[in-house]
Amino acid sequence: MQTDANDPRSVTAAEPATEGASRPVATVRGLHLRLPGGVHALRGVDLEIEAGEIVGLVGESGSGKTMLGLSLLGLAPAGARFEGEAWLAGTEMTAADSEARRLARREHAGAVFQDPMTSLNPTMKIGTQVGEAAASREAVVEALEQVGFPEPERRLGQYPHELSGGLRQRVMIAMAIARRPALVLLDEPTTALDVTLQRTTLKLLRGLRDELGVAMLFITHDLAVAAEIADRVAVLYAGRVAELGVPSAVFRHPSHPYTAGLLASRLALAGGDRDGELATLGGEPPDPRRLPPGCPFEPRCPFSREVCSLGLPALVPSPRHPGLDACVRAAEIAPELEAGAARALALAPPPVSSAPEPAPGVAALELRHVEKTFRSRRHEQRAVSDVSLTVPEGGALALVGESGCGKTTILRIAVALERAGGGAVELGPGGRPQMVFQDAGSSLTPWMTVRQLLDERVRTEGLGAAERSRRIDETLAWVGLSQEVATMRPSRLSGGQRQRVALARAVIVPPALLACDEPTSALDVSLAAVVINLLRRLRRELGVALLFVTHDLAVARAVAEEIAVMSAGRIVERGETDRVLREPQSEETRRLLEAVPSMERTWR
Amino acid sequence: MEPVALGQEPVTLSVRRAVLSALGPMERVGVALVLLITVVAALVPLIAPHGPYETVGLAYQSPAQHPLLGTDEVGRDLFSRLLYGLRSSWFSALVVVSAGAVIGLAIGLLAGVRGGWVDTVLMRITDAGLALPGPIIAIAVAVALGPSLIHTLIAVTVVWWPWYARIVRGETRAIVVRPHFDAARLAGVGRFRLAFRHVLPGALPAVVIAASVDLGYLVLTLAGLSFLGLGAPPPAPELGAMAYQGLDSLFSFPWIPLAPAFAVFVLAAAANMAGDGLRDLLEDV
Repeated sequence: MQTDANDPRSVTAAEPATEGASRPVATVRGLHLRLPGGVHALRGVDLEIEAGEIVGLVGESGSGKTMLGLSLLGLAPAGARFEGEAWLAGTEMTAADSEARRLARREHAGAVFQDPMTSLNPTMKIGTQVGEAAASREAVVEALEQVGFPEPERRLGQYPHELSGGLRQRVMIAMAIARRPALVLLDEPTTALDVTLQRTTLKLLRGLRDELGVAMLFITHDLAVAAEIADRVAVLYAGRVAELGVPSAVFRHPSHPYTAGLLASRLALAGGDRDGELATLGGEPPDPRRLPPGCPFEPRCPFSREVCSLGLPALVPSPRHPGLDACVRAAEIAPELEAGAARALALAPPPVSSAPEPAPGVAALELRHVEKTFRSRRHEQRAVSDVSLTVPEGGALALVGESGCGKTTILRIAVALERAGGGAVELGPGGRPQMVFQDAGSSLTPWMTVRQLLDERVRTEGLGAAERSRRIDETLAWVGLSQEVATMRPSRLSGGQRQRVALARAVIVPPALLACDEPTSALDVSLAAVVINLLRRLRRELGVALLFVTHDLAVARAVAEEIAVMSAGRIVERGETDRVLREPQSEETRRLLEAVPSMERTWR
Repeated sequence: MEPVALGQEPVTLSVRRAVLSALGPMERVGVALVLLITVVAALVPLIAPHGPYETVGLAYQSPAQHPLLGTDEVGRDLFSRLLYGLRSSWFSALVVVSAGAVIGLAIGLLAGVRGGWVDTVLMRITDAGLALPGPIIAIAVAVALGPSLIHTLIAVTVVWWPWYARIVRGETRAIVVRPHFDAARLAGVGRFRLAFRHVLPGALPAVVIAASVDLGYLVLTLAGLSFLGLGAPPPAPELGAMAYQGLDSLFSFPWIPLAPAFAVFVLAAAANMAGDGLRDLLEDV
């Protein structure tokens, strides 16, 4: 990539990406952000992003990651009130008027948001769309070439719907870098992608940084992704930085209990067991309208003492790594965190798994030579070809593969939401199979209360009103929800509560088979661990069999003792989970395994 | 944004949550007027000073000679006839809108939930209904069955319901692809409950909006038809017909045709203002 000597930004752009680069392209000082409705989204954030540096911003939903990114670009929601400063290359974005902010964005910033499907204008051709950012047709082609977009010249006239998800993602990245910005904001750019696409995207971003020297603010809730891509990582909690430093140091030697908790609830591809409870953070993030006066993590912190609630802890040098942390007891609890982190990151040899012996002959689900072809007026698409599988009674089978490999179709056929085009589907004895959907929120009828939704399911059992009500209360308690939730509609529930309600409805009449469609992929690590714990309890206490669809091998491993890997509508490999992950036989399994972001591999 | 649509709002809102306080001043006036008109229309037999067909004095008395609006060309109390006309127009419009909405809801819901050939057949019928020219149908019905208010209402309803069927079918198709519909199917919910509990409440706001906006338009349409003689035959008090019959006296006794015309205007304007308000309220979701 050539840089123009007359371009004032070329100084920045030409700088190599080194740790020592010392010209911040973005500086946030003591930034507070209050939103209408009393939400205190950011509460004194300090952060510098240097030229060519990738800063990872991690934390749970609602921690303020997105708000920090948007504030830096001058895109905070209407009615937001600021204190402190947010500099984007020479412009103070909290005070500047909208035209000045627009110019600063245009000159110095780019952005990529989560959903590559909805972030592009469906009525604009690719060339026109990228052309809004790039100055000339040549610049458009160049930007597309830089993001590895195949045959850009020929495809300029295509519309977004003609491209795959991965290519759309590239178009968005091309738009973000077309003007050679100093800083690109990436807000969960890989969350909606499967692991292999995620891997390609991360590689591409790193390459662009090395080539163009563009700094990046990379927002993610996946610690391993942050570890893989970021030069420095900031852990955000309740609108404040809890810990800040080089990822290998922060994640190996966390000095804030929150970071340690997030790390402990990660799922690994090796070690651990399938029967116990996964570590979770416990509780939910605080309500941003009613924050405690002291350390915001104190109510959930296993190490909390009186001193923690006395005042907001400042960001000070960490006792355990060269970065900063905001825990007043960091030095005291260091040994305990060390032990915990060692456990969380241990590359333990895979255990000899104790898969429950399936009762011979009894299957909760059996598919034999199942086929499915979707037909529309213009074309046919074969989604599933000759798939045979068995889920033993009380057993668990994980179905993994890339987006579009047909795994969800199998799931829908298994629960009879879709009819198989050929072959046989046999369900074992027991009630009608149930399903947990990826987006729990949209699987709950918005205008019905939780009690109505659950009651509707128990009604099919022909029980009296009192008995039904008792069952509802019991089930709510079982999934860890309080009684008040029963009278609420889904819009008033948090993401975690919605997933619990969805699970409660699926098991209030215990099914013989529970189909799960990526129930954890949209959740924060800690919430994902909560859901997996619930699924494990389901198997232990109710003997429910699971058919679990995911693209995440670590989740598959945490849930199921058997795994089937799919590619292009066929099962390419199946067997005992630990064995398949240890000694993959098929190309597809190897590809998936290699794509899993891993802290361990990054630092090896 | 944070990981996938966890904080997503529901696609729709129940009408119950339609709060008056969220309305602008014009819309508030509209809603108040609509309520007032409905109450007055219901109470007309009690509050009208005279019956609609009762001759109370000489013809063509001015408002100065006879209380309020004077008398018409055959000596009936114009104000009383106006009230009865308002009652007839308003309730006719409500009947057509309700009938159209109910038929449209049933057909749209059935087509949308069942899909497949049922959908195709019902929607082709709906398209045929949309292609019918409203006034011509009304004239044809009047010619075939004789002029009567009921015949006109039937004719207008026949051309009116397809609009609602289209709206409901569209909303329904969007709702049945949401995971909550599949989830309800898996929960073993019966067909009727599925349609009425898991789909209908989502389609209702769109229909309420369309119906409230249509109300004003229907008042005008019905008045226009009765102006053309396609409503209740004289001497029934009807706003459109009264305006037509009074046309001869436009220059000598202008209030006789203008009072009913103004009443039509007030009804249509109030309904439109209220409809706009409801639309803003429900569409913001």
